[in-house]
Amino acid sequence: MAEIHKIIASVKDALGAGARSNPHDAAASAAVPVSPSAQRTELASTFARELEEVGGKFLGVLSPAEATDLIVDLAGELGVKTVALGQGIVSDMDAIGEALERADFRIVRTVPVADTERAAMRARVADAELGIAEADFAIASTGTLAVVSNANRPSSLTLLAPASLVIVQIDRVMTNLAAVLTAMGPSGVASNRLTLITGPSRTADIEKRIVLGVHGPKSLHVIVVWPHDD
Amino acid sequence: MAEFPKARDFFESSTAAVGDHELRRKLESASARHLDHFAQVKAEFPPYDDERDAAHRIKTDAIAHLDELLIELTSKLEARGCKVFFAEDAAQARDYIVALAKAKGAKNVVKGKSMTTEEIDLNDALARAGINAVETDLGEYIVQLRGERPSHIITPAIHLSKEDIGQLFTDKFGIEYTAEPEKLTAEARSRLRAIFLAADFGVTGVNFAIAETGTLIVVENEGNGRLSSTMPETFVAVMGIEKVIPRLEDVSHFLEILARTATGQKLTTYTSFITGPRREGDLDGPGEMHVVILDNGRSSMLADPVLREALNCIRCGACLNVCPIYRRIGGHAYRSVYPGPIGSIVSPNLFGSAAGYLPFASTLCGACKDICPVKIDIPRILLHLRWKESTGAHPLKWPRAIERARRGARRFAKTARYPRTVRALGKFAAMVLKPFAHDGYLRRMPGPFGNWTKYRNFPRPRPHKRPPS
Repeated sequence: MAEIHKIIASVKDALGAGARSNPHDAAASAAVPVSPSAQRTELASTFARELEEVGGKFLGVLSPAEATDLIVDLAGELGVKTVALGQGIVSDMDAIGEALERADFRIVRTVPVADTERAAMRARVADAELGIAEADFAIASTGTLAVVSNANRPSSLTLLAPASLVIVQIDRVMTNLAAVLTAMGPSGVASNRLTLITGPSRTADIEKRIVLGVHGPKSLHVIVVWPHDD
Repeated sequence: MAEFPKARDFFESSTAAVGDHELRRKLESASARHLDHFAQVKAEFPPYDDERDAAHRIKTDAIAHLDELLIELTSKLEARGCKVFFAEDAAQARDYIVALAKAKGAKNVVKGKSMTTEEIDLNDALARAGINAVETDLGEYIVQLRGERPSHIITPAIHLSKEDIGQLFTDKFGIEYTAEPEKLTAEARSRLRAIFLAADFGVTGVNFAIAETGTLIVVENEGNGRLSSTMPETFVAVMGIEKVIPRLEDVSHFLEILARTATGQKLTTYTSFITGPRREGDLDGPGEMHVVILDNGRSSMLADPVLREALNCIRCGACLNVCPIYRRIGGHAYRSVYPGPIGSIVSPNLFGSAAGYLPFASTLCGACKDICPVKIDIPRILLHLRWKESTGAHPLKWPRAIERARRGARRFAKTARYPRTVRALGKFAAMVLKPFAHDGYLRRMPGPFGNWTKYRNFPRPRPHKRPPS
């Protein structure tokens, strides 16, 4: 043991006297920097895991073009004929609609309605077998989608059809509910109806057995979109 | 709930329920499954206890400023285009909603799950006015088809097996018998979907109301709350005065714990933030939105400094699931819309002194207090209510028994100061009573002691044994 003391003493001598900062502080300030893209990847994977846990289906982190192709494939797999499509927030929903039309799916595009047109539009949306909407935010810790509805993106899109597909931009995946509510702020939340969606519609009312799709969608599919230029 | 059943009815219904082994099996399996889920999500969420503290603090503070918050909420709701109606009691709330439904010529009323509308007995009032209201939560729908009331505030049909429900659907709809939950759910979905698309009047409860924005929050799993509040042209939200919280930023604390304790989920499937009726050009949402804010005895709870804490309740139902009484007798035996520990506190205040026996239906074991997400000291409030019942303006029907018990307790307190006497008396009692005991219990005792053995067995006194030193 004597050697250690000798070595430490010579190290100390070599460094010389003088006030030094706490070595642990130095270690903390030199923490490995996390790149924004690594952070996003981590949040997206947490979101994916939580979504699957509540019975949702995570289709991947995709570029806009990949997302469009996958949506056309999914509509085919689900065997649907009619797709209800809301307008996008950031995403180009027109491109998705056109691709679906090229693949011979019937598209119901939601647009602002006058009072006299409401019943007819609602009947058309109610007949669609797949509803596609873009979420304002996603919550990683709970696998939740936060969707604000308005005249171009009615709440019915994520409610009436037996299958629901929601896309969300990678930079809008947040850590938890509090972060989303802070980002939206009181005026954002109050602007129109906000719905938090955590998995497909479900019930446990019969002997506590979980059954999906009681009033809302039986299946919920989610794509996280990561634009190339980002 | 015009007339509340008498205490004797409760003794009868609870005695019958205890003997119903099938009911106990269903309750035990549902409660056990529930508590498993809860333990799991709680373990995965380290900030759970911090969130409970935050929720307790926010709610206590909100209740202390209830008058100001209600004024703020009302002005914000009105600014968003809602019509607000304050109802002093159940009758005022019922009359307002029935008159509104009549004025709108409502033919198809759909209801989301709401304990508050059960409290005011809305369905019967609508039926008397010739208006059919359909419960759309699957559990409530099943219970309504049977002509019953919910037996649990979160899981209304907890007292029924899947076979019971299969038989019900066969009897009511003439469909082929099945006990598969998936098939029964699909049947209910298609029947209720048709009703939703034709609905012209919707009613739901409210979980939280945000004063600063005038936003109502409705929490659910099935989507029937969303449908009830978006499809009909007229929408009525019914809430107790205690549902208001000050700010948007408070909401996440409650939502993070409500689903975890209520159903073992991290968040419920759907959480709707509804701020006013639909906007120009909107496809969904009501053209007209009404908010009924109900007192019905809540302000009298507020006036009592001990009882006030019970207004913190967010109706998660966790105290029912852990309660040894609830788990043996189920919800119906309580004869109140709100069963279980929290029900025994709120019922006497909402339904009057007739429900005064309920605070006595507790072992005061404290399991409810331990699980409560907003940390309500339920046993303390139950004791307070017992004290009020036995000393208040409307004492219970057995004041003589209470007086006797009090005298007995005083006598015992004096005797207990002399350990030798206590031991001698114990030895004597053990000797005298031994021949009357069966399996270590006395089933019947003479005189005033008979009041004890009427409802429970008395353990046979045994000779005192010195603890090992």
